[in-house]
Amino acid sequence: MLWYIGKRLLQSVLTLFIIITIVFSLLRLMPEEGYLGAAAEKMTPEQQEIILTNLGLRDPLLVQLGNFYMDLFKGELGTSVTYRTDVPVTTIISEKIMYSLLFGLGAVVMSLVIGVPLGILMAHMKGRWLDRLGTGYIVFVVAVPAAVYYIFIQMYVTDLFNLPLLFDEYNKMSWILPLTSMALAPTASYAMWMRRYMVDELNKDYIKLARAKGVKERTLMFRHVMRNAFIPMAQYLPATILFTITGSIYIESLYSIPGMGGLLVDAIQRQDNSVVQGLVLIFSSLGIIGLFLGDLAMALVDPRIKLGKGGSTR
Amino acid sequence: MGIYSEEISNISQKSNDNLFDFAIVDEKKAEQTGYSNYSYWRSTWQSFLKNRIAVFLLVVVGLIIAFVIIQPYLPYQKSPTEIYIDETTGSQARNIAPGSEFWFGTNSIGQDLWSRIWTGTRTSLFIGFVVAFAEVIVGISVGALWGFSRKLETPITQLYNIVENIPTTIVLILMSFILRPSISTIIIAMCITGWVEMARFIRNQIVILRDREYNLASKCLGTPSYRIILKNLLPYLISVIMLRMSLAIPFAIGAEVFLTYIGLGLPISEPSLGNLINEGRVLMMSPDLRYQLIFPSVVLSIITIAFYIIGNAFADAADPKNHV
Amino acid sequence: MRKLWLLLLATVTAFVLAACSDKGDGSSKDEVSEYRTVYSGEIKTLNYLKTAEANEFAMSANLIDGLIEYDQYGIVQPSLAEEWSANEDNTVWTFKLREGVKWVTHEGEEYADVVAQDFVEGLNYVLDAKNESSTAWIATVVKNGDAFYNGEITDFAEVGVKALDDYTLEYTMENPTPYFLSMLNYVCFFPVNGEFLAEKGDTFGTTKETTLYNGAFILDKFESQNERVLVKNESYWDKDNVYIDRIRYKYNKEALTVAPELFLRGEIDSAEIPTSVVDEWFNDEEKKSQLRQIRNNFYTYFYALNFNPQFDEEYEPQNWKVAVNNKNFRKSLYHALDRVSAMLTTEPFEPESLLNNTITPKNFVDVDGVDYTQLAPLADISNTDSFNSDLALEFKEKAMAELDGKATFPVKMVIPYNSGSPDWANRTQVVEQQLENLLGADYIDLIVEAGPSTGFLSEIRHPGKYALLEANWGPDYADPASYTDPFTEGGTYNKPELAEGYTDANGKSKYQNLVDAAKAEMDPAKRYELFAQAEAFLIEEAFVIPYAVGGTGYIASKLNPFEAQYSPFGVTLEKFKGQRLLEEPMSNEEFKEALAAWEQERTEALANAGE
Repeated sequence: MLWYIGKRLLQSVLTLFIIITIVFSLLRLMPEEGYLGAAAEKMTPEQQEIILTNLGLRDPLLVQLGNFYMDLFKGELGTSVTYRTDVPVTTIISEKIMYSLLFGLGAVVMSLVIGVPLGILMAHMKGRWLDRLGTGYIVFVVAVPAAVYYIFIQMYVTDLFNLPLLFDEYNKMSWILPLTSMALAPTASYAMWMRRYMVDELNKDYIKLARAKGVKERTLMFRHVMRNAFIPMAQYLPATILFTITGSIYIESLYSIPGMGGLLVDAIQRQDNSVVQGLVLIFSSLGIIGLFLGDLAMALVDPRIKLGKGGSTR
Repeated sequence: MGIYSEEISNISQKSNDNLFDFAIVDEKKAEQTGYSNYSYWRSTWQSFLKNRIAVFLLVVVGLIIAFVIIQPYLPYQKSPTEIYIDETTGSQARNIAPGSEFWFGTNSIGQDLWSRIWTGTRTSLFIGFVVAFAEVIVGISVGALWGFSRKLETPITQLYNIVENIPTTIVLILMSFILRPSISTIIIAMCITGWVEMARFIRNQIVILRDREYNLASKCLGTPSYRIILKNLLPYLISVIMLRMSLAIPFAIGAEVFLTYIGLGLPISEPSLGNLINEGRVLMMSPDLRYQLIFPSVVLSIITIAFYIIGNAFADAADPKNHV
Repeated sequence: MRKLWLLLLATVTAFVLAACSDKGDGSSKDEVSEYRTVYSGEIKTLNYLKTAEANEFAMSANLIDGLIEYDQYGIVQPSLAEEWSANEDNTVWTFKLREGVKWVTHEGEEYADVVAQDFVEGLNYVLDAKNESSTAWIATVVKNGDAFYNGEITDFAEVGVKALDDYTLEYTMENPTPYFLSMLNYVCFFPVNGEFLAEKGDTFGTTKETTLYNGAFILDKFESQNERVLVKNESYWDKDNVYIDRIRYKYNKEALTVAPELFLRGEIDSAEIPTSVVDEWFNDEEKKSQLRQIRNNFYTYFYALNFNPQFDEEYEPQNWKVAVNNKNFRKSLYHALDRVSAMLTTEPFEPESLLNNTITPKNFVDVDGVDYTQLAPLADISNTDSFNSDLALEFKEKAMAELDGKATFPVKMVIPYNSGSPDWANRTQVVEQQLENLLGADYIDLIVEAGPSTGFLSEIRHPGKYALLEANWGPDYADPASYTDPFTEGGTYNKPELAEGYTDANGKSKYQNLVDAAKAEMDPAKRYELFAQAEAFLIEEAFVIPYAVGGTGYIASKLNPFEAQYSPFGVTLEKFKGQRLLEEPMSNEEFKEALAAWEQERTEALANAGE
């Protein structure tokens, strides 16, 4: 087990290193004008050159990369350049993370609370009206791009229930719509998976046997079917929870929530290399950690699964 | 060999050339064994036909595609980019509500929304199809190699870990920034990350299937790897591949909307569903002009939902388990 | 199963209850006068010595005071300097500072007095290249400024700024600079407390705590992409003229989309109304009275004809080069461009109000009350619309005859736009269609190209990848010379110095010589006349087609724009000082009346100031 974790860890570090290097190099391909801001127009070429040199953009790529890793090794993510000049990247990110985390976790909880029972009910009433209604909802939410229905929700629902248009920390009413909108898609996918696993499980022979033996339907559902249906979901849950901190670009921009989603887009648009690198580092680590935790969670839930054997199929 | 070699040489000496022929690989004969009048594709089609909603949507999608192609050649069609002039005022026919002249109304500079929507649908469908094809082709090739070749397993796994863990958003945004805004930029940006899911899926399936007895048998008989992949493994996967592909189209359209949303999509002189919706979004707070958002949204929703349902229905139909 | 239902029901109920319980908790309005708005462009720093972005100018304008300010008619008034004088040839400027002005911290505590040395420190910071100041290019007007910036001089004492005593400040110029006063409202000439700056080092101006204030407001809250709050500075030297107590900026990425709705719901006090919904507002009885035009600014927009075409071979840049060097060809374009129809894409109601027939907009400078654009050489051009289809066709005939055999028709013209701006994209399509329809597809063929949204200048304009391009320029100081920069040698616009047949005996282009002569003249009346001649030449030869002034669009706002300080330079226009919140937003009729009255008063004020 320890050996397995160690190997995984080493692999992850290598992966992270490559990802960061790729993103780092890509960032160096961005147009130089972006670093100079609105004043680029009026500066002389010499002045532009001085600024670009000061930013370290005139060093050879390898030197820049070396410097970056040196700082990273010391635990420094550097300071922002064009997003919030001279403010440490960690400060910027920590300001944002709470909002995304609150909304993200809220949405995950909400979608679990609604999605899982919905899936179970749908499996239970397969082919009846609830199943059809649920399927319609799932198809709609999964197939139609989120941007479209988010806009319509903001447009009509605020009017209908007289809810505030924008998010305001101190007004709890303003939390409702963004949370609900954010929960729509995960609710649908939880319901969809839950339904599918339940239906698969219900068709299995041991269930037939149990039924034949006269096991009560409720015991059957909760003790056997649901437990087994949970296993595949357990694998994805840690990653889902971790990823809530990356925020939702759409929701955050529509309701002006000062979270991480907007930060990423803004940082790239403003070409703030150090912020983007910091974010990529965090997001990629999250992905890798989430994967690992998912495997662990699965092993915990299902004693039949043993880690470290049979390669890394997930 | 050892102790048997003598015996073997005895046999070969005893046997004369007339007794044995080299068998020539004959595809027809190979298929003839186990013949029944079961045809995979016919059965698939038949069980697909049972799903009436899916059939209906397939017809709808077929009509939309056909319409999108022939629309510019139909009578009474306006140009998607021409700015129409209002004859009474002599200025641009701005924000005209839907009516007999402009079926879906005009936008804020007097372009015909009807033809813009169909041109946009054409662009978006084109992007969707190209991306889906590219994903499927790259995904299958990489996935098959990944699952089948033990030598390539480690490097491809590593590659997968990398591509999978760079957030897609970052790749999309960075690529659109570095390249110029155009259809090919969008396609490239989406393909860079799109293939991994497909590849992983194919790989997992192949890992499961490759060591089954019939494949071992094939291997022992000396069937070349490519043939095992093409003939023994891929047909098994056709349903999943079709499903993935039909889902890739709505996803690509969604990604285009996303890119336009954050300001990196196609320029508006090149209509697409993404930038039509984005243009309409600005008007969402004015009830009189909402049609500019609603029309493209409805068209987009129909298309994405249709592809999604058709894909799922086809996947079900293509599963031989459902043919009985 | 029933348990599950109950659980579900309980959760939903709890949610709804939690949500509803806060309904009555709206913040009650207190007596203070508060101005609220939404924004989408985030500021990246409070360090006014470093930045050159409009959004950040808007902050420093209200947080930091400079030496001078303007009244609402654009006449210079004392601010931190009580009086000033210049020597004979405008090379040495001396300022007597106001005493008792305080630096305060973000909590309003007094930190130190504002003294002359603070201005020296400020300029020192700006001209130190390692600080990457984006406004250093303005500050190099001071003697040895450029040399210090480039590292040729290392002792700052040699740079032309000195604190003679605590309250006397002296600037020495590199060249005679009659318009120096107009540059003082740029952030690079703002003061900074040296001790505080040294203490904070790199963190200066990154947060509200690491900034000192001497202006009308203090920053009370600064959370990027969330909210900024400015409160009135109680120790401000002129606090009786500050009528707004609090300014609240709320972030929204889609500010432009949601602002109108927020304004209608009374959640904000000012909202720009996008062109696409202006119709709806004007057609609505209630909304109609709430919106008005935005006041024009001093940005000038023009269509530049490129004399150094470097676009794709596919579009025959050589052919364009031959055509553009033909005066009749240029004139045909000049007269063919229907600027009204182009303007309809952004200002559908009164497009004419924004059109500009010259490069220098009106109200910029004047000679004894006569506006620069009405000086003899420019008067004709200013007073006639360049669009004239008959003339255009006439010139077309001539050009076709002259270019027969030299250029191939239709001449391909690449006309790019910035894909980050939908209005620009629309306008370009309109222009393409309008020009082709009027002049005929046998004559010109416009090719609309989408350029990148970042790096547009370095990828399109600087390398010359266009034939015709909408471009703009804003002035930096109160002198017509400020509007000649794009077209003189070294400019990054359409390179008119490469036009064939306009080289004078001294090897320079005719336009360059006209501008040089004007720059050498010190008497304002003659100087402006010479600049007007140069500008008339530029337009007469159709090297550029003047198009419009900036400030397009409509706004619903509870501020009265005519109370604000007025001047195109530096951060002046962003100041809230002197403005009051109206009960009701100004309607467009009221705006126009006020504008007429203001123009009247301004003429008188200018005449008085002249005496």
